[in-house]
Amino acid sequence: MSQAITAAHTSAIDALHTAYVAALDQGDMAAWAATFAVADETSYFCISAENDRRGLPLALMYDDCRGRIDDRVSFVTKVWVGTYQPYRTRHFIQRLSCESAGNNQYRVTSGFMIMMTPEGGATTILTSGEYRDLIEIQGEGDNARAVFRERRTVYDADVLPRYIVFPF
Amino acid sequence: MSKYQAGTYTGEAPKVWPAKVNQIPKEIFGDAALFEEELKKIFYGDTWHVVGHTAEVPNIGDFKTFDLGRVPLLIARGKDNQVRVFFNSCTHRGNQLETSVSGNRKEFECPYHRWLFSLDGALAACPGSKEFAPDFKQENFGLVELKTDQYLGLILVTMGKNTPPLKEWLGDIVPLTLSALLGGDGRLKLLGYQKVRYVSNWKGYNDNDGYHGGLLHTAFRMLNFQGGSGSQPMSVNGHWVIEAELKPAQNSGFLNDPSLIDFKVADPKRGSLVVQLYPMTVMVKHMDVINLRFAIARSHDVTEVHYAYFAHEDDSEELVQHRIRQSSNLLGPCGMVSMEDAAVFQRIHIGNHTPGVAEFQKGVVSLSELSLDMKQSDETGNLPRWEHYRKVMGFKREGEQ
Repeated sequence: MSQAITAAHTSAIDALHTAYVAALDQGDMAAWAATFAVADETSYFCISAENDRRGLPLALMYDDCRGRIDDRVSFVTKVWVGTYQPYRTRHFIQRLSCESAGNNQYRVTSGFMIMMTPEGGATTILTSGEYRDLIEIQGEGDNARAVFRERRTVYDADVLPRYIVFPF
Repeated sequence: MSKYQAGTYTGEAPKVWPAKVNQIPKEIFGDAALFEEELKKIFYGDTWHVVGHTAEVPNIGDFKTFDLGRVPLLIARGKDNQVRVFFNSCTHRGNQLETSVSGNRKEFECPYHRWLFSLDGALAACPGSKEFAPDFKQENFGLVELKTDQYLGLILVTMGKNTPPLKEWLGDIVPLTLSALLGGDGRLKLLGYQKVRYVSNWKGYNDNDGYHGGLLHTAFRMLNFQGGSGSQPMSVNGHWVIEAELKPAQNSGFLNDPSLIDFKVADPKRGSLVVQLYPMTVMVKHMDVINLRFAIARSHDVTEVHYAYFAHEDDSEELVQHRIRQSSNLLGPCGMVSMEDAAVFQRIHIGNHTPGVAEFQKGVVSLSELSLDMKQSDETGNLPRWEHYRKVMGFKREGEQ
């Protein structure tokens, strides 16, 4: 760590991770989008480890601006409603590293695992992977709040076990 | 009025199909024994199968592994720039030779007894060969190649003894649209993959139709995605081609980032091109997305699809970026206008474990004769394929001798 991180910033980053997991595990897409910064240069990528390793740019979800993050909410809540087989998820994450990137920003990586339960079915692993984040702290002291400027989700599965509705 | 079940449900494919050409017995989707027959008669039989594109292995030494049914394949580019398809199996004792999905090698080495194969398949070294059987000849133990042919870089293989030449098999209706889909000359550049398994029979996976578009896909309605003129010829050996005009979508504020549905180079008059090659390959050029779907029939109820996306070698950097942004979010197993198709692949597989027939309606003009053309919103595009499948598998129709 190039620079000591304050307790307030650590706690804000923890709260952001928790809010992200809580949003997706409740299927709350608006709450998911709210974990990202409102600035236009905000991004969410969900890409296979194979593409990532080989330097292939194509992703499963390629939301490279704030507008696309909001559009993803519409895909799930307006476009796809009533067509897909419902499933619930449980995300588990483990922070692996956190480095200051200056300007109240941090490069954070975490391991994740997503359990999936299709309605009426047994629980299985959807995939595991790594979050590579650029997290920004907005506000000071007790009001410090963390948001994602970039979340790059690199999932391990070379072949996913089903079609995907929700972000990872 | 509801109707009561007629006959018993056995879960076993009936040997005799209904006389009506628009009826498909539902039991053929869930029958594990039938899948074994399909492997022999179709996947290992007298037809071509798409296994990749040469743009996936652009450099000497590049390889990818793939499966045809349960048969493991190794696709590699040799020092002579030839792309060859081998059985992924050491010629000594049959050990799986290459374990990686893709990569680059100087040669392929089997770790078991260190037999070494060059990129063109020749056996380059085999330790201890002085004590080998009297009839051993090193030149006879190169990797075994499948019969292979290419169309604008598209790699096809067959294990059948009586497969017609590729040109004849593709026939008249495919080449014009397929060449446009492959960028005119096949000089493509790989952008990446989306790989997924569907809990669906392979026949259900590619039994999509023209009727569902504006009905299943809400985005088509929200964006007023309207098709214009087009043609949809089919061939008697089960291929199906779609060329359709796409009128510019009307965003009306629904998308915050409407660049997702921009045309940059595609001609809206040929905005949607689809080539479905029997038995299970679907290739799409929709707007500026070039998408080849390499599919593997894993079992009677698992189908694996590698959605591979491409740019053209001559594309500007800006165009490549547009293709990446459009390809990632529009047409795959999580795409805005395609996730619902994926859902239907799985739901139709569950629903087809019931008695009776799946019945096609929209565009059916005759119950006894197949049409080889259809209108854009008809669902008859796969009926010639079903007829071809029925004949290959040896199912009779009611009343047929």
